[in-house]
Amino acid sequence: MRRFTVLLTLALLPFAACGRGPAAPMAKKQNVVVYVSEDQVFSQPVLERFERETGIRVRAVYDTEEAKSTGVMNRLLAEKDNPQADLYWANEPIRAEILKQRGVAEAYLSPAAEGIPPLFRDPEGYWTGFSARLRVFVVNTSVESPPHSVLDLADPAWRAEVVLANPLFGTTTSHVAALYVALGDDAGRLFLDRLEANEIRLTTSNGESADQVAAGQAALSLVDSDDAVNRMRRGDPVRMIIPDQSVDGLGCFVVPNAVVLIHGGPHPKAARRLADFLLSPDTEQQLAEADCAQIPLHPGVPVPEDVPHLESLDLMDVSFAAVAQKMVEIQPELKEWVGY
Amino acid sequence: MLLLVVAGLLPIAVMVARSVTAAGHLSFEAYRGLLTSPRQWLLVWNSLTLATLTTLGAVALGLPAGILVGRTDLPGRRALTALLAMPLLLPPYLTAVGWMAAGSENGPVANLLGQGAAQALFRFLFGLPGCVLVLTTAFTPLVMLLVAAALRGVPPRLEEAGLLVAPWPTVLRRVSLPLVAPGILLGAALVFLLALGEVSVPPSLRYRVFAVESLSQFSAFYDLTAATAAAMPLAALTAVVLGLEALAVRRSGTAHGVGVLAGGSVLTIPLGKLRHPATVAVWTVAVLLVGGPLMILVGQAGGLGTYVEALHSAGDSLWRGVALAVVGGALLAGLGFVLAMLVRERPGGAGTAVDATALFLFAVPGTVMGVGLIVLWNRPWANFVYATPLILLLGYLARYTAVTLRLSRAALELVPEGQIEAARVAGIGWGRRLVWVAAPAAWRGIAAAGLAGAVFCLRDVGMTLLVHPPGWDTLPVRIMTLAANGAPSLIAALCMILVAVTVVPVAVLSMILGRRAVVR
Repeated sequence: MRRFTVLLTLALLPFAACGRGPAAPMAKKQNVVVYVSEDQVFSQPVLERFERETGIRVRAVYDTEEAKSTGVMNRLLAEKDNPQADLYWANEPIRAEILKQRGVAEAYLSPAAEGIPPLFRDPEGYWTGFSARLRVFVVNTSVESPPHSVLDLADPAWRAEVVLANPLFGTTTSHVAALYVALGDDAGRLFLDRLEANEIRLTTSNGESADQVAAGQAALSLVDSDDAVNRMRRGDPVRMIIPDQSVDGLGCFVVPNAVVLIHGGPHPKAARRLADFLLSPDTEQQLAEADCAQIPLHPGVPVPEDVPHLESLDLMDVSFAAVAQKMVEIQPELKEWVGY
Repeated sequence: MLLLVVAGLLPIAVMVARSVTAAGHLSFEAYRGLLTSPRQWLLVWNSLTLATLTTLGAVALGLPAGILVGRTDLPGRRALTALLAMPLLLPPYLTAVGWMAAGSENGPVANLLGQGAAQALFRFLFGLPGCVLVLTTAFTPLVMLLVAAALRGVPPRLEEAGLLVAPWPTVLRRVSLPLVAPGILLGAALVFLLALGEVSVPPSLRYRVFAVESLSQFSAFYDLTAATAAAMPLAALTAVVLGLEALAVRRSGTAHGVGVLAGGSVLTIPLGKLRHPATVAVWTVAVLLVGGPLMILVGQAGGLGTYVEALHSAGDSLWRGVALAVVGGALLAGLGFVLAMLVRERPGGAGTAVDATALFLFAVPGTVMGVGLIVLWNRPWANFVYATPLILLLGYLARYTAVTLRLSRAALELVPEGQIEAARVAGIGWGRRLVWVAAPAAWRGIAAAGLAGAVFCLRDVGMTLLVHPPGWDTLPVRIMTLAANGAPSLIAALCMILVAVTVVPVAVLSMILGRRAVVR
């Protein structure tokens, strides 16, 4: 049995060493641990470029669609007293705000963030936005007169024609919370009630919503712009409409990615370098040219023709901090609305 | 046994404790929220419906398939067994990906039968029918292998006696099948529990089930206590189903009948006139259910260039997964054999407890185990475990020891009783008997168990997804993270690479065991 124990120890030692916990000494080659909610297919090439340009090894944990893009965020919360990550690449800033409120985030005012509009930055530097998506309509090409405002979804003309991702998850939650902030609680609640009366159907994700519209199972849906562009680029019979662009409209809700440094993370220097890298115009250009077609927040970054310029859009005027607070507030009534 | 308790039972115990405490006091608030929500009951109903239909499907297909490949003179039985067993070795969502590719706009169904047929297939797939189809395909091999192995264990003299007065169908119905009923029951119970805890197929096919709820609670509401509470009903149901199965077996007065009978003679059931129709029917079903989705994935993956790109983008995950599987398989083989020896020498209380614990941990959903491991090991003093691949190895030991324990028990039954007993009488201690007497005599079985354990490690998704350390994702996890907006051809190529990597050790397993290997 002693031999068995020795063999077992020898077998396990390399594994115990190769992962190396935060308390362990730094290796010669620098490491940075990043948790990523942005789709791996888009984020991995950016992180690989960082590795090539800096020589710092990136160890990443990516989210899955099934985890509703919040799986790694929950790991961050669960690991608050024993942080494993140095940096969180969030695919929207609302949950970054929650990390700030729960003491998981660390303030960092990156020099690379200069030029990014203040709307997309936490003033204290707990998170900084970059490369945004829009909340847009994806509409089947068979629809001749699509709606122009998010509020039109409650119009009886669209009864049983609209699908929407479950508002308890992902960017749809943020969007509903933003509508509550922009319209006020009563009007927000009324809008949800009218949606329910209009027989809106819920799906598990924005991707599923876009697929249903592409398959003709629904006339339209409210999704992220990358979901719409992705289907358009692969030839599905859909088009994208940016809502609420009239002069007196609500404005379009914009969802930037966000960089969050983790308080007490094991590799703070490397984390700052990665934050600077992600917030750079080069990264924004890379993400604009990728199939996610994200919109740069730095002015003057070259983009492909099908990527709109931020300056050309009417944006919804809401603070992400207020939206984050509202999201937590309305979660019980959202649960009830969904039927949880 | 201590390792099994630390690796598996302790995380679940910590979860239970955490779910009933709030601010240091006893509180059932998390459970109250769970029980009073109508949605939860709907999800439970959905889960039970899915598990029941999958079990019925798996038994309906697996029982005749087990008889055909286990005892009849059907041509190509070994090839058929290998083909039908393949889904059990792969993450079930691979089959789902294959079927979805079949029904896609540019898929084979659309090309052969038109867009209307493809849309009809899509409508069928997304929801309960699709989930039942995929999970039945995935878990039928379990019933088939258990039935085949058990049937090879029926004493020939009983069947010969029966054949004196009745034809084969009657002997099969009245003699053979009642004797292997406990094996069928075990297979049905395991299929029911595996379907109940499945978390990759139902969300992919848009069917809402309770097992995903614990994942969602963890994912979307930042509430580990609620997530833990949501996981508990599944753990409790697992214990209840296995308890009922054990009770039924005890009342029947027969053993599981899934022991190894390698080397023993078995009677072959002649199919007679049915031989050719049965061959055509069973191969058609096998090719449609198993071969079809895989061939569609091959088609979708396209040329060699896609595979090169896939290896370039996810090769690191592949090798990590293989390394973990090799070490995990070796550890599982060792642990399974030690425990099998314990069960053999102490068939009463301790042995039964070990066997039941291992089976319970095998049937507990991976997400439950994953959340438990996080709750238990996410502490600064335990970084050498939590922040390293050791956390995955611990999880694998907890989840899959049942597989290697059962295979090792089967292998040990082949070792002549007198050989180990003689060593004991000669004063050789338990450890030395294990290492120097039992292990050399049962090396084939240990090797087979190690390979089977490695395959289960390689295909694990639910637990690995939750606890893998940064930079230590495995190929099944990478496939799932790339599935969000990833190119379908790349996903298909990765799926086929995973199939190939899994099939190689299974081929090795077959070569080692040859015709003498039978599982029980």
